[in-house]
Amino acid sequence: MLSSIFEPASIAVIGASNDESKWGGRILKNILNSFRGAVYPVNPKEAVVQGLSSYPSVLDIPGDVEMAMIIVPAQLVLSVAQECGEKGVKGLIVISAGFSETGNAGAELEKQLVSIVRKYGMRMIGPNTLGIVNEPARLNASIIGQLPVPGSISFITQSGSLGLALAEWTIDTEIGLCKVISSGNKADVDDIDIIEYLDSDPSTGVIAMYIEGITRGRQFIEAVRRIRKPIVAIKTGRSKRGAKAVFSHTGSIAGSDEVYSAAFKQAGVLRVDNIDDLFDAALAFSCQPLPEGNNVAIFSNGGGASIVAADECERQGINIVDLTKETREQIKKVVPEFASTSNPIDTAGTVSYKIYKDSIEALLKDPNVDAIIVIYVHTLLSNAIPPAEAVVEMIKKSKQEKSKKPIISCWMGGAGKEEGVEILKSGCIPNYPVPERAVKALAALIRHKEFLGTVKAGESREGRA
Amino acid sequence: MKILTEHEAKKLLAKYGVPVTKEQLASSADEASAIALYIGAPVAMKISSPDIPHKSDVGGVVLNVRREFVRTTYDELISQVKKAAPDASIEGVLVQQMAPPGHEVIVGLKKDPQFGYALMFGLGGIFVEVYRDVSFRVVPIEKRDVLMMISEIKGYSILKGVRGRKPADIDAIADVLMAVSGIAEKENIIELDINPLIVSEKGALAVDARAMVEE
Repeated sequence: MLSSIFEPASIAVIGASNDESKWGGRILKNILNSFRGAVYPVNPKEAVVQGLSSYPSVLDIPGDVEMAMIIVPAQLVLSVAQECGEKGVKGLIVISAGFSETGNAGAELEKQLVSIVRKYGMRMIGPNTLGIVNEPARLNASIIGQLPVPGSISFITQSGSLGLALAEWTIDTEIGLCKVISSGNKADVDDIDIIEYLDSDPSTGVIAMYIEGITRGRQFIEAVRRIRKPIVAIKTGRSKRGAKAVFSHTGSIAGSDEVYSAAFKQAGVLRVDNIDDLFDAALAFSCQPLPEGNNVAIFSNGGGASIVAADECERQGINIVDLTKETREQIKKVVPEFASTSNPIDTAGTVSYKIYKDSIEALLKDPNVDAIIVIYVHTLLSNAIPPAEAVVEMIKKSKQEKSKKPIISCWMGGAGKEEGVEILKSGCIPNYPVPERAVKALAALIRHKEFLGTVKAGESREGRA
Repeated sequence: MKILTEHEAKKLLAKYGVPVTKEQLASSADEASAIALYIGAPVAMKISSPDIPHKSDVGGVVLNVRREFVRTTYDELISQVKKAAPDASIEGVLVQQMAPPGHEVIVGLKKDPQFGYALMFGLGGIFVEVYRDVSFRVVPIEKRDVLMMISEIKGYSILKGVRGRKPADIDAIADVLMAVSGIAEKENIIELDINPLIVSEKGALAVDARAMVEE
């Protein structure tokens, strides 16, 4: 059903405008810039909008309309939605604000809107949403400036403006996105509907969420437990404590935040603390396999960086595993005499394609190792490109051999490391600027793997990117 | 909304299979003495009033009362509480078996607007007040969730027995948590505490409890 909203054959933009500084103008322009299907502007005051014939009402459109975007003042939304129902529109995105977010009168209006939507069997995102983006369908039905870089991360955001800023930021940083959904007031389509749709969507590999509050709490837990795709979430409002100790200890300690954390644990949602962690984890999920266990090997050309990584592993409960004798002998062949071949492995500053390639190859073969963190510390005496090429080469080989060992990289330093980072990106290696972030991203993969074994119900669904 | 007295809360818990202390409500010094004889002294004596949820705050609790002092303690408790809380309606004095030695833990329940009910577990006594070393799950739960929430608290190693302390009966705690989670909806609980639940090597016992229910 939600496919009518995310993959429509035709779209009416109700409240379309020639003025691109207005929402109705901006959104129509974004749709026209991206979407290849039929687009019908609706505006009773104009004959032509952005070069297309405009219709006085959605009922005047000659062809079928699968999805309609509504960008009219709140008091007109009900009659417009009614017309959409009569027209046979299947999905609505209601951008208009002025509903439950404004108080009781708005909440009443929203109720009436939902009853119209249900009467005609439509589905609705919003009201009070900034729209949706579906990159694989080339659909930008939002006020986000452009389509994101392709990727398998789908992002659900309850805050419109934060979602907008983050989506634009992912475009700048070239983090690939599949879908962006501003869920708005969630009057009809809510988190559960969206997550279930994304679970069935083959181009979504990981779901990232910004959550302020959840409705249908228990159903949320039940629904999400059945979903095996990773879900990473920020839930804001941590600072709200429970009521003061009035009656029971439980009452005073069990604030809503503690209960959310518990619910996420039971549902198998990875709760992260901040926006960096959210996208760091999502990026790792989007391009690396899940490790079989929590035994990591750390490989670095700098002792300091590998110790920082090792410390973070300790904090995250990741085990720095003993390597087999064979692995250490393989690595010994390529690193200098004085380098450390026990984990964390430190090449003592030496860098070359062969050192990185042969060492990673040995680690991929080591049965003790479940995941690999590769660190490169850039100096004026070294070249960031050869080790990056070695990692990409090894990832290719590992994919061919259907290895389940994720490789996470950390290319750190100043000018000159970027060339290496570009190569890693092109090889779909999640790269982070500091070791702690690389380790935390790996920790997310490990925790999700644990969820699959403990919390998640249902059969595994392979085929992630 | 109605506040249950300790005795009422425990009767409710017992109905759902939570082991509670042997106790009876006395409405006279003679009755108190007879109950103490039946339960076996020394006993704990606690004022019973729906208006006094925090009994120790008004001097309404005396522990380790020997048989010969049960009568006088009854009269002293009543007059002490009448002074401290003149408007409270007093049902009498709860005469109760003394708690056996063991680990003090807390088990609680709270109605939640988003998720229905939250179940809480943690170390009891000062640990809950100062360290808030607790874990939560949303009801309904499975045994597996319960075992995870028990092992999740920082003080889990204390329960497993450190430095010669005897380990706590984890299965008994799990049974209590399962039982309490089943009470939530059936009894329209708003808030409930078992604090402390005393856990020995074998078994657990609800020593004090309070509950607020919807009428």
